[in-house]
Amino acid sequence: MVLGWWHFSANGLMPAPGRVTVALAELSASSQLWDNILTSLMLTIKAMLYAIIITLLISWLSVIPFFKSLAQVMVKCRYLTLAGLIFVFTLLTQNGATLKLWLLIAGIVPFFVTSFLSVIVNIHQQEYDLCKTLGYNNWRTLHEVIIVGKADKVLEIIQQNFAIAWLMITMVEGVSMSEGGIGTLLIKYNKYNDLTKVLALQIVIFLLGLLFDYLLSVTRLWLFPYIRKTK
Amino acid sequence: MTEYTRKQQLLHADNVCLSYGHKPVLHNINFSIRNIVRPGVQQGQVVSLLGRSGIGKTQLFRLLAGLQQPTSGSITINGNKQVQAGDMGVVFQHYYLFEWKTIQQSLYMAAHQNPAIKGNEKAAVEKWAADFDITEALPCYPHQLSGGQRQRASIIQQLLKGSSFLLFDEPFSGLDVCVLDKVVNMLLQVSVSDELKTLIIVSHDIETSVAISDTVFILGKEPGEPGATIKKEIDLIERDLAWQKDIRRQKAFIDTLEEIKATL
Ligand SMILES: Nc1ncnc2c1ncn2[C@@H]1O[C@H](COP(=O)(O)OP(=O)(O)OP(=O)(O)O)[C@@H](O)[C@H]1O
Ligand SMILES: [Mg+2]
Repeated sequence: MVLGWWHFSANGLMPAPGRVTVALAELSASSQLWDNILTSLMLTIKAMLYAIIITLLISWLSVIPFFKSLAQVMVKCRYLTLAGLIFVFTLLTQNGATLKLWLLIAGIVPFFVTSFLSVIVNIHQQEYDLCKTLGYNNWRTLHEVIIVGKADKVLEIIQQNFAIAWLMITMVEGVSMSEGGIGTLLIKYNKYNDLTKVLALQIVIFLLGLLFDYLLSVTRLWLFPYIRKTK
Repeated sequence: MTEYTRKQQLLHADNVCLSYGHKPVLHNINFSIRNIVRPGVQQGQVVSLLGRSGIGKTQLFRLLAGLQQPTSGSITINGNKQVQAGDMGVVFQHYYLFEWKTIQQSLYMAAHQNPAIKGNEKAAVEKWAADFDITEALPCYPHQLSGGQRQRASIIQQLLKGSSFLLFDEPFSGLDVCVLDKVVNMLLQVSVSDELKTLIIVSHDIETSVAISDTVFILGKEPGEPGATIKKEIDLIERDLAWQKDIRRQKAFIDTLEEIKATL
């Protein structure tokens, strides 16, 4: 239906689906697309990895009062727009690559922390009580209930927030174009008013997002068989 | 008349009070549980804690389990040891088990906490699982179990810990008649497994609890009193109402139930 509507509403400004498909074929035949995708993916994955480590440390430690307030500050940082951070991070980092990486990490972490804190807050008292009745101390309880018990949630959070990271990558890559990436590509085509290519690229970005979403959910079920039926 | 003696104190609650802010829930709770000795029988203790809904049973349960500290007063076990979380086996109302562990893993967690079976954890887990008929559920996760299997797994987990005290919060709620019978038999079986085993049952189901108990404590609130306290203690052995299979049809048993209901 969407395709049909697209086809008929296509005019001089809006390229028809046929042309976009051709552009898509052209693009995927060139190594340029795949190189740029690889660059973007590597950057996203690297940033997500760092972000998840930072998030886990902050969240696990959020059971201690000092880190709890730190975590709550992090949560509020969702409202800092990336654009505002660019200046600060440019001053703090040496080159474009690190700038992009840390911008992305700074962008993702608040969302991760928000999601993971809500997981921790929603842990039922009986999970802690069971640990206590088994005679476990606080550290063992933290380990069993939060670190091991909520490991599946970590992947769920990555999956839920992958879209946000993916959204940010196109933005962040515009900041420093020298390393390439699909964000750079998108900006280039936009500049030359090559709307067909822009749309084709948009489809690629969309499909890659879906693919990752799928891969993450498969991994989650494979790693944590106990969640299979609770959903 | 059954021959018995009440020997040394196993658990003692001394002027236990609990309040939330200015709202008192429990007030001056005093009671003790003594070792019951029957010649020729290895006899543990079964105590029921009864009371109206909202009176504070679950709160007292949590204090006994050591999961919470009383505002004042103390609960001691085995002489004068202050009760601590981990000292007691605690079976919660909804038989909570870690969702991310298989039953086998959950049972091992408990077995490893028991110094008495060190090195023989595997044998102990297998024996209990076989006794309670959940061997085939061992590799499963809790969500794959039936309510009854879950309950048994949860009870075995606490048994494997090896503590002589076992606390049950509403163990009979939501069970059909067949399963109820099984649970009752299971509790009785546990109660005679060791001379010092002491079961404390918090329940709404007066008839079932009284039928398997040797002592009943009634938690209630006098008008004008700030919180709930132990209003009455009934020694069922003295009345010759303990340790009998078909007790429920006896007149004295029915009278006792009436008496309890009137006190609640
Ligand atoms: N965290 C809390 N803060 C304040 N009051 C509480 C708290 N927890 C329980 N209470 C109060 O303590 C009283 C006793 O509650 P409790 O859960 O022990 O009742 P209960 O006897 O177990 O009832 P039921 O049979 O319905 O389970 C209630 O009046 C309740 O409002
Ligand atoms: Mg209750």
